[in-house]
Amino acid sequence: MEIKQTALAGTLESSDIQIMLSKGTDGITIDLESDVEKQFGDQIRKVITDTLAEFDIDNGKVKAVDKGALDCVIKARTIAVAQRALQTQDQPAWEAF
Amino acid sequence: MAETEERLRRTMMFVPGNNPAMVKDAGIYGADSIMFDLEDAVSMAEKDAARALVYEALKSQDYGNAELVVRINGDDTPYYHNDIKAMVKAGIDVIRLPKTETADMIKTLEADVLAAEKEFGREEGSTHLMAAIESAKGVLNAPAIAAASDRMIGIALSAEDYTTDMKTHRYPDGAELEFARNMVLHAARAAGIAAFDTVFTNMDDTEGFYRETRYIHQLGFDGKSLVNPRQIAMVNEVYQPTAKEIANAKNVINAIEEARIKGSGVISMNGQMVDRPVVLRAQRVMRLAKASHLVDEEGNTIEK
Amino acid sequence: MNNEIVDLHLNDPQVRKTWEDFLTSLGITDFQSQETDAIDFTLGIYEGDKLVATGSAAGNILKYIGVCNKGVDQGSRFNTIVSALISRLFQQQIFHLFVFTKLKYSDSFQHVGFHELAHSDVAALLETGDSSIDDYLDAIPRVADQTNKRVAGIVMNANPFTRGHRYLVEQAAGENDVVYVFVVNTDASLFTKAERFELVKQGTADLKNVIVVNGGDYMVSYATFPAYFLPAPDQQVDYQTTLDARIFRDRIAPALNIKTRYLGTEPLSRTTGIYNQVLQRELPPQVAVKIVDRKTTTDGTIVTATAVRKAIADDQLDSLAALLPPSTINFINQHLESLQFRIKKGMNINGN
Repeated sequence: MEIKQTALAGTLESSDIQIMLSKGTDGITIDLESDVEKQFGDQIRKVITDTLAEFDIDNGKVKAVDKGALDCVIKARTIAVAQRALQTQDQPAWEAF
Repeated sequence: MAETEERLRRTMMFVPGNNPAMVKDAGIYGADSIMFDLEDAVSMAEKDAARALVYEALKSQDYGNAELVVRINGDDTPYYHNDIKAMVKAGIDVIRLPKTETADMIKTLEADVLAAEKEFGREEGSTHLMAAIESAKGVLNAPAIAAASDRMIGIALSAEDYTTDMKTHRYPDGAELEFARNMVLHAARAAGIAAFDTVFTNMDDTEGFYRETRYIHQLGFDGKSLVNPRQIAMVNEVYQPTAKEIANAKNVINAIEEARIKGSGVISMNGQMVDRPVVLRAQRVMRLAKASHLVDEEGNTIEK
Repeated sequence: MNNEIVDLHLNDPQVRKTWEDFLTSLGITDFQSQETDAIDFTLGIYEGDKLVATGSAAGNILKYIGVCNKGVDQGSRFNTIVSALISRLFQQQIFHLFVFTKLKYSDSFQHVGFHELAHSDVAALLETGDSSIDDYLDAIPRVADQTNKRVAGIVMNANPFTRGHRYLVEQAAGENDVVYVFVVNTDASLFTKAERFELVKQGTADLKNVIVVNGGDYMVSYATFPAYFLPAPDQQVDYQTTLDARIFRDRIAPALNIKTRYLGTEPLSRTTGIYNQVLQRELPPQVAVKIVDRKTTTDGTIVTATAVRKAIADDQLDSLAALLPPSTINFINQHLESLQFRIKKGMNINGN
């Protein structure tokens, strides 16, 4: 699916992750800022990439600022930002949930 | 009306649906029920994100034995249908409808929930319902609302909107809520479901909170809605049975056991026949005593 | 309820006072109307009746961020307010943001995903969002084998493009293989950015080794250099132009292999004079600075865009032929009514 517009989901508050998604041409690129980048960076990137794949988003620039989010929060924020970028938040893709 | 006799519902803790820290930690405070809020606690721009967050949390987090409730957005909003679908798919225990005014609103919700259960392959009838009463019309229709569906497990009074509708506001003595509380409570009891009292938001007024909780306990409410985990222990303290109540309850339980062993159809105690309400109350007291750690699982008093 | 984000309406005198008092207590004391008038919205967090955090946005720039950490985790309110500002700007379709801040807060912003563009001893400029300076640089056209060419850069506002600008570009074009002309990307005076850009292009079309590019958000615009457009205390101008110069030196010049920056002398503008001094201090040795004397008319008048705008305002078009290349004169003749209407409506024609 094509990204229609840049979107944002999540916040910078504790236990959350702020995810920005915009158009890209070079696959999924992830710019991640996290205190636990060394320990969990790969895992965070994987959750984001896997969730975007559920939306068939193959190209996109992701900028994520992690504040200690659990996987379920990362997934939820990725779902939200993907739907906003695709402008489908009123027709949720239930299979991605 | 499933489980209404088995569950304690002393505390229903409100958790803002778009706050990951609170959603994540909601299970650690020991609330009997956890109510994730997609409605008033979430701004319009974040409705979609909150729905996804609560969904993913429900699918992955362990909330122990707490009953899990979600307050969805009303049927006059564009979020209502998607809220229902997401929460049914997540397998929520109870959907709470805000601003309920008529039994038809519950009947409509029941049909929408059934459709979602079918769509997502959930067991039909497994999603329970409860109604929040927030207006004069809702209060007057409370008996019909409480009895509107077999899925109903409770009704709750929500005083902020109700007092606004009544052209008043909340006072410390709660006189403005007297009629509504009694209506909601009677509607619940007549329908055989739970009754939840409204929230108390002034965290600095501990004395006022105790006073209000003792009062609704006296009236007969099952419990209270809460906005802060600190209030859980306070409510549980008020609902804790006395030693005398526990002793009486134990006698009743022993009498039941004796009748069972004898194969007798009649339970008797001190030469009197024990009827059903007495049995139910004794069972409830013992559940409260266990939950308050006054007796162990076998009903033996724990020495402190 | 406590700790919720609320809108602060600074038009309300009482709210304004609370806001100023709070920021003053944190050492932010500059509330000149030229700074505060540009604010589009302001958010705050109250604890009880007390304001404990605030932040504002002016266009795509975050401003006046102040946070009291008393009684909460260090940084939690800062994160909350910055997060709320970003969300609000995104809702307004503003996806690329800047913040100009004291150096000591640069880390805090980097910690929430901002990238630093440049810093001086006192200040830092950072950006975040869906595009970055790397994207900007990637999109600029290059020539073949550019790393082995002599490349120069000129930054101009060109409001509008004059014979003075033309002269500067000609000098550079004669001495280099490639000349980048960056047109400042801000709508702050008589000619719009689109008009200024087009006039620079037309006015240099015959110079085949000149590449005209939009200065984007990275050159002498409101973000990097707000004081340029406004009378401001010299020190503030120095601080801000230092950042601007360092972005050019450290980010833009290396990416394009620019080895020389050409400047016109500035006998008439004090602000631009300071700017040029800062450039001479900051750019070498990485980037040489070459100052070209101002073009004068045959009777010795210095050619300035300010004089051009005044002539338009006064309807003295005869004097323009000596100051402007034909392409700019044509444009003014064709759009005279609209330009004079803009002046009548109160468009500021002073400044640079």
